[in-house]
Amino acid sequence: MGDPMRGVKLDGILARGPLSRRGFLRGMLGGAAVSIALPWLETLAGKRALAQGSFPTRFGLFWWGNGMRPDAWTPTGEGAGDAWQLSELLQPLAPVKDRITVVSGTALKVPNDIPHHSGTAGSLTGMPLWVKSHEDQTMNGPTIDQRIAADIGGETRFRSLEVGLYPNRHTISYNGPDNKNPPEVSPAALFERLFGPEFRAPGEATEVDPKLALRRSVLDAVAADIGRFQRGLSAADRVRLDQHLTGVRELERRIARLEADPPDLAACLRPEAPVSEYDYIEGKPQIPAKSRVMADLAVMALACDQTRVFSFQVNSPIQNLQIAGSDQGFHNLTHDEPEPQVQVKRIVTSIMEEYTYMIQRLDAVDEGGESLLDHMALLATSDISFGRTHSLDEFPIVIAGTANGRLRAGLHYRSPFAENTSMVMLSLIRACGVNAGSWGAEGGYVEDGLGAIEA
Amino acid sequence: MSRPLFCALLACGALLGCEAEPTETPPTTPDEAPADPATVEFEARPPPVPRLTAAQYANSIAALFGDDIVVPPEPEPDAREGGLLAVGAGVSTLSPRGVENFERAAYAVAGQVLDAERRDRVLPCPAAELDRSCMEAFTAEWGRRIWRRPLTADEITRLAEVGERAGETLGDAVAGLEYTLAGLLQSPNFLFRRELGEPDPADAGRRRFTDYEMAARLSFLLWNVTPDDALLDAAEAGELTTAEGLRAHAERMYADPRSRDGVMRIFIEWLGLDDLDELRKDTAVFVAMSPEVGSAARTETLSLIDDLVFARDADFRGFLTERRTFVDRKLAALYGVRAPARDGFAPVDLTGSGRRGFLGQVSFLALNSHPTSTSATLRGKFVREKLLCQVVPPPPSDVDTSIPEPSGTTRTLRERVAEHLTNPACAGCHELTDKVGLAFETFDGLGVARTLDHGAVIDPSGDLDGVPFSDADQLVELIAGDPGFGFCVARHVFRYGTGTLDARDQEALVQTLADRFAADGHRFEGLLFDFIASPAFREAGRFEAGDVEAGDVQGGE
Repeated sequence: MGDPMRGVKLDGILARGPLSRRGFLRGMLGGAAVSIALPWLETLAGKRALAQGSFPTRFGLFWWGNGMRPDAWTPTGEGAGDAWQLSELLQPLAPVKDRITVVSGTALKVPNDIPHHSGTAGSLTGMPLWVKSHEDQTMNGPTIDQRIAADIGGETRFRSLEVGLYPNRHTISYNGPDNKNPPEVSPAALFERLFGPEFRAPGEATEVDPKLALRRSVLDAVAADIGRFQRGLSAADRVRLDQHLTGVRELERRIARLEADPPDLAACLRPEAPVSEYDYIEGKPQIPAKSRVMADLAVMALACDQTRVFSFQVNSPIQNLQIAGSDQGFHNLTHDEPEPQVQVKRIVTSIMEEYTYMIQRLDAVDEGGESLLDHMALLATSDISFGRTHSLDEFPIVIAGTANGRLRAGLHYRSPFAENTSMVMLSLIRACGVNAGSWGAEGGYVEDGLGAIEA
Repeated sequence: MSRPLFCALLACGALLGCEAEPTETPPTTPDEAPADPATVEFEARPPPVPRLTAAQYANSIAALFGDDIVVPPEPEPDAREGGLLAVGAGVSTLSPRGVENFERAAYAVAGQVLDAERRDRVLPCPAAELDRSCMEAFTAEWGRRIWRRPLTADEITRLAEVGERAGETLGDAVAGLEYTLAGLLQSPNFLFRRELGEPDPADAGRRRFTDYEMAARLSFLLWNVTPDDALLDAAEAGELTTAEGLRAHAERMYADPRSRDGVMRIFIEWLGLDDLDELRKDTAVFVAMSPEVGSAARTETLSLIDDLVFARDADFRGFLTERRTFVDRKLAALYGVRAPARDGFAPVDLTGSGRRGFLGQVSFLALNSHPTSTSATLRGKFVREKLLCQVVPPPPSDVDTSIPEPSGTTRTLRERVAEHLTNPACAGCHELTDKVGLAFETFDGLGVARTLDHGAVIDPSGDLDGVPFSDADQLVELIAGDPGFGFCVARHVFRYGTGTLDARDQEALVQTLADRFAADGHRFEGLLFDFIASPAFREAGRFEAGDVEAGDVQGGE
């Protein structure tokens, strides 16, 4: 875990924030504990933050299941700028080509025991899948979003945010074996959680609700219960209860943050509540309508610094979503559609359209003259590369954003000898400010990032 | 061992893993009385610490405080292991979001329980006289119900103090007590089941579950809910650690209508019927599909089980072989049988319809199909794995798994999947699945009967491990007659009831349960009571010897 005091950046002057601003106002107004909205403060905050170059680095994972087709995915040409051209499947990214890096030709170096799930584990944890039995598998370690959140998630209301589009049994975000972070798939519930009554936009400071402190006292009692409950349990069960304790402590911290003033961010606006749950219509999901509502909420969660890490799960491994007017589910098509797999390509393209949408929304958030995208790394990847054969070579990787100048953009890096995909992940982990010495295990273990994508 | 096929999972990555081993005959001969499971040698394992499932949480809140209390749905998704939530509960954790949702749920419940209309139901004193000692009495009384055991004096003091201070802060003692109640409801003592056992006074070498632990085990097994006052009182009186007391309470609970919902969970989880809530079909392909079909199918299947198990205590193999089912108007139209005269479900005779038992129901046929088509592989896999407890490994990772589109020469699915059965990389496993699944091609991906596939006549014949059948009707007879079916029912009762997958050295007990089940005419009630009396339900393994080694628990191979 990272030092919680390390890198208090966003809060900067105003954030030490919450407390110091209240003191500041109190001084101005003769000691009366009043809070008033002072719009110019936000402007000042933005300028100060820019002057210090101090917007925090964020991480996002845009994930879809069932892969792509390497023959239609890999860009032509290599290098930066005009030296490369987008492929057929990446065509939607044309408006943001200078904001992304495509890494092609890397491979997962983990055993491919269970189609789809081995690739999810290999790419997101760098480790082999833990195969308990033919029907039960789990991750061996944390997924990349949680590894990063462990270091940079401690300062925000939510350590990380998990968003999905439709219910499914396969969660991609794990803290460790069997330790899942299930995604929120309801727009109303996601809105309520992020921007419900508890949320306060910048300048909306109000009297602190005494019930918040009471809730913390109950959580303290629950934490003590957990300690006693753990006595005599097996090591594995103690780990499970430790996770419960972690959740309780995080909730206490979250409540404490609510008792402080909200972060001062010019781009943070309380969004409108979603108007629909976007259920299936005639057996088909509402993509892109639902995807965009959920993406907007996730982007605003970052803009309001409610979290600095999120994952966005379009579908799940093997899930047969019928996307983009296809006449079968995506997974079936990857296996059964004859060449040249027009429908598979159309589905992958439509998923890339949603990725592009998210990139553009992040790029539209102004942070001191730069954009939120400049201050983050947004990784897009999948569970496999070529769906028909469940291949783990030619693994799909696109990165958007430059992580506060730590990553390059406008690049196609073509791996000359099927380098380990874990190298890309380690570069991203480090670019997000995590001082990690290595990533992965066994064949997926690496100590070096991929220098070519680092600035 | 009655499981006729042996597929070593790890050896099966490539191609040879699915070669069927010769079918073995069951070890018991009919004229020999099977052993009593209660006396079988059994190596108990360290018990799991299950997290309450979403259903158990909601059921428990309703049982504790009344079913007029609105409970937020599914604070945290359940996990499955071996297909069962009951086993997944022993490995699942609480995510930060889950902790947050359980906190919100706790306050929502506490606020309702202590609101002006309801508070008199739960307060041990008039609301106006709610002082510290009354708060302690409340904590002791409701704590015992919520935590399924008496609280220690220290626990009572601590939680009452939280409520007292909150009452002072808010200037409202009852509002303060909400924080005590919310604390009880968020505690691991409610959300997790801690059943670790104690030394058995009658046998120093063994450990048994305590009386209060047995109250919880019995209640969650039979009613899928936290124990009621009668059970907690029985635990306090020491009645649940004796064989006679346990049997008497099990019988009392089984006779109560609540056991129908509770015991039905065993079948729901075994057969994966929860997935019917998320049944999706392309309505352009399946015009009979509507949002109600999934839940109607679930009701149909549960009605058949209810009739066999509870109404008639009949031979459970009828689940596969009955020519009678229960339909509403929607299903009647889908099956082409006479619709009930009234709204709701009514029994209907299926004779002559080509349809019989569970394998002729939408629940099986639609769930084990794709959104736009049937799947012989999924249907065959279900029969092998869920009904016969055989193992079908996942496909190898590096094989092109495509099947050709229908064409002039290959129109039926059988013709199109011929590749599965001729390509040696596929044939090993697909021999097991497809030859069974193709028998059900006479039902489309939703379960509507048909004779043609893309205009060609469907051939539903095949063989089950060498025994030929001409259609699904005959295949169903073979499956029901396979000793693997009874074994599989027994194994799922064991897994559901212990919350663990059976380890290799526990299999003698499962086999004994299966033998008695068969000898007793496959009466499910008998199987369930044999299990409750067995050491698997009553004995706790030790922790001292260390945790269960990884790999010690087998997945069913």
